Amino acid sequence: MNKKEITYEPDNNLKKGYLSLLREIAVEIKENRWLTYQLFKRDFFATYKQSFFGIFWAFIVPFVSLGTFLLLNASGIFSAGNIKVPYPIYALLGISFWNLFSTTIISGADALIKTGEMLTKINFSRKSLVFASLGTAIISFLLQLIMVIFLFAHFKMMPKPAVLFVPLIIIPIIALGAGFGLVLSIINAVTRDIGKILPMLVTFLMFLTPVLYEKPKLGILTQVTKYNPLYYFISAVRDLTFNGFLSEPKGFYISCLFSIAVFLFTLLTFHLTETRIAERI
Amino acid sequence: MGDVVIRAENVSKKYCKTLRHSMMYGVADIGRNLLGKSSRPGKLRKNEFWAVDNVSFEVKRGETLGLIGPNGSGKTTLLKMLNGIFWPDKGKIMVNGRVGALIAVGAGFHPLLTGRENIYINGAILGMKKREIDKKFDSIVEFADIGDFLESPVKHYSSGMFVRLGFAVAVHCEPEILLVDEVLAVGDVNFQHKCLRRMADMMESCAVIMVSHNAQVIRFICDNALFLNKGQMKFLGPAAEGIDEYIDFMVQKALPEHDKMKLNASYSPKVKIEEVRFCDAGGNQIRDVNSGEALNIDCRVKVTEPIPRAILGVAFYLDAHERSFICYSSQIGRYFDLSAGTHIFRTRIPELKLKKGVYHLAFIVAEKNELASHTWDYPAYILVKNPKPQYGFYSMDFSFELGKPAVS
Repeated sequence: MNKKEITYEPDNNLKKGYLSLLREIAVEIKENRWLTYQLFKRDFFATYKQSFFGIFWAFIVPFVSLGTFLLLNASGIFSAGNIKVPYPIYALLGISFWNLFSTTIISGADALIKTGEMLTKINFSRKSLVFASLGTAIISFLLQLIMVIFLFAHFKMMPKPAVLFVPLIIIPIIALGAGFGLVLSIINAVTRDIGKILPMLVTFLMFLTPVLYEKPKLGILTQVTKYNPLYYFISAVRDLTFNGFLSEPKGFYISCLFSIAVFLFTLLTFHLTETRIAERI
Repeated sequence: MGDVVIRAENVSKKYCKTLRHSMMYGVADIGRNLLGKSSRPGKLRKNEFWAVDNVSFEVKRGETLGLIGPNGSGKTTLLKMLNGIFWPDKGKIMVNGRVGALIAVGAGFHPLLTGRENIYINGAILGMKKREIDKKFDSIVEFADIGDFLESPVKHYSSGMFVRLGFAVAVHCEPEILLVDEVLAVGDVNFQHKCLRRMADMMESCAVIMVSHNAQVIRFICDNALFLNKGQMKFLGPAAEGIDEYIDFMVQKALPEHDKMKLNASYSPKVKIEEVRFCDAGGNQIRDVNSGEALNIDCRVKVTEPIPRAILGVAFYLDAHERSFICYSSQIGRYFDLSAGTHIFRTRIPELKLKKGVYHLAFIVAEKNELASHTWDYPAYILVKNPKPQYGFYSMDFSFELGKPAVS
């Protein structure tokens, strides 16, 4: 039981320094680990409970979008570029990491409004709600990864040893997705426009990012790709898996730093503004 | 005993009337905070108003404070600020100890999850740790009394079971400060008693702040009362005095409404009530009466078709739904042959032993039996006052004496 006195006062967080705010956030997250896990369970089990296929829906959705691309690629309408590995592996590996980002950001942005009444009636850590929403994204990512492993077995391919570093790339991807998710969840609570526009935006972003095709060498997309941190993450995953080295290390490291910076900044943003959620939602 | 666990200093909260402005202001405030600037919370913008305005009080451990006031007076908003759900726009709230809220029991339940799953999740949301819930689990289940339903999804629960489970989890938090918002109005009588007993146990070690429209509950349970109207403090002090202030205030508010109501509020084509007068024993017209004194009611009715053997009646309602007293002429064997034309029907009550409050009267002209009424619900109000302290629901004559036990 914590005995310390709490004070509610307008703008009182603004008076503290950024470092002490970050410490406050770290303590809050640590203290609420179990709550976060319970909220994840609430979210996760409830999603799949009243359906016959249950958890298998997590497989089916990425399969359908992958199937579309395989079809387009096979019929020559859509060219993925000069790819040396079997296209299904190439595409599924890319799409699974992309989905990690997209489900993180979308479920993060929805985390607050989905909870509805609870938020205006009970005082509990709002950050836990957003972090709990990551759980579902990670689970469906892991399921897709299992499919990737099956594909490797099917094509009798062996990834390079550097593949062991690939799990580390999950960290900046989640940091970026959760970072945007945090700040969008607050804006979404105030004005619902975000929830409408975000899925469209994410789909658009996916076509903009070389997830299912190779990095373009010409045209405007080349420039866009150069400044797209997501491109560096996804190409790093493939580089390490198929080639065993990073082809663009500088871009990758800058993107990692950028992601962590975004995450810390949005975490502060969330902390400073979360007191306004209940009254505006 | 004695240490202050919750203190509010000049607390204010503003609300916005329109959704569009609320969205705009929300974005603007967040923007200013991000830039490290104050959102200037102390100023009202267009379409904003103070929902809670400059409220100060403190509650010590072991004390109970009742929040009273008409609808929309800011009671719930104040309670949510004490809980940290809303933050004040002006002033300061200091909370010292674990806060438990019986504001919306079961609000965190997910309908698809089982009772067992929901106990853990809701417990976590309310601030309990796993070990704590493990330890209290059996006690929670026993208190909720949901039997075999523990493993069923909550959506298959009856509404009573749902609330019982919610309440059971909430009271097991062992808070040092308990916030209660009208939750006792749910569940059956046995469960309500169980909850009250449990709350009484908790009150010994807790500071309690409760919202209730039920004046009796506040009078019995609370030490002090805070009476809010339109967000402002009208009274802060001993509960019994606060309740009196509140009832007087509500009466003053209700009486002018009586005058505005239309006189032809009749549901019958045969009878129309034209005027109602309240008089004392001396025949002087009155608007209020002391409990225990005489009340004469003159009701002028216009009868369009003759009604043979009519039964006359008067009903007194408290709070619009509590039917405190009804009398029919048939009870004393009186029936009236009403001819077409205007009549005055007089009701005489020599001793009006009603508890204090504002009563809404309904008049009955019935044919054949008491239920076949012709006129019902003519809007008239009478205020029953009582200068002496009065407790409970009824006002009766009583005496006390001290005797000696018989020696055997």
